[in-house]
Amino acid sequence: MHELSLASEICRIAETHAGPAGAAAIREVAVDVGDTSGVEPESLTFCLEVLLSQPPFAAARPRLFRLSGDELRVRYVEVDDGRPDH
Amino acid sequence: MAVRTIDVRERVMAKNDELAAQVRSRLAAHQVAALNLVSAPGSGKTLLLERTLQRLGDEIRMAIVTGDVQTQNDADRLARYTTNLVQAVVTNGGCHLDARQVLTALDAIDLDHTDIVFVENVGNLVCPASWDLGEAAKVVIFSVTEGEDKPLKYPKMFRQARYAVLNKIDLLPHVPFDRDLAVRHARTVNPELRFFFTSALTGEGLDSWLDFVRECARASSAP
Repeated sequence: MHELSLASEICRIAETHAGPAGAAAIREVAVDVGDTSGVEPESLTFCLEVLLSQPPFAAARPRLFRLSGDELRVRYVEVDDGRPDH
Repeated sequence: MAVRTIDVRERVMAKNDELAAQVRSRLAAHQVAALNLVSAPGSGKTLLLERTLQRLGDEIRMAIVTGDVQTQNDADRLARYTTNLVQAVVTNGGCHLDARQVLTALDAIDLDHTDIVFVENVGNLVCPASWDLGEAAKVVIFSVTEGEDKPLKYPKMFRQARYAVLNKIDLLPHVPFDRDLAVRHARTVNPELRFFFTSALTGEGLDSWLDFVRECARASSAP
């Protein structure tokens, strides 16, 4: 029911980790979603798809990992900022 | 292409939990207990609080934060029974209160002259379960006009709560509600749950609830 506010918080966290290239460089935002976290994965995916396709994001997509437990956390962000991987 | 992966591992609720910790430490500094009252709409949260204010208003200083999607009706109802502050939070569509709203509401409350804060959450058995507000304990309220299987349908809420109030027991002779079955269902999801059986309307069973509130106010925590 509150997936949109969770999605907004996920986007805020993703943006703070995107580095100097900013949110527009993010290609993927990965989120761990526990089965007792109270989050409906499909609804969260929908909200993230909407938010991640608007500024400050450009072409990011969500990726959800379903786990057991009540975990809800951003696992990683994938960015395309011209810098080499390490 | 130079796509790289940046490890984040950050909990989505971290910000809320940080604010909840601020609520908790501010309450602790003033030796004030807070109870977070959660239920479906219509279970009797507001009437239970009205009765609590009526019965304990002379001995305990109570402040209330009410959350509603729209209107200040609950706050207005409660303000009739207390000169202490009733702080209304209108969530404008939000399905739960969060720690930031409670922290802001506390700014308006004179905690030096308060023994206990009740947070009357938005009527909803789903979302409020996920948000720590800095309370000493969650109290889940349900009533005999609902199904006995409420605890099984909303297990997260009944697991998060330490206390349950089964309200409207004056209606038991008139409705097909099996009280023992409801308690069994609740203890299936949370064996530690402590029950109160009340009719806020007639006053039946209220004494043990009021003793519990006295104890919370005295100990500045939930026993």
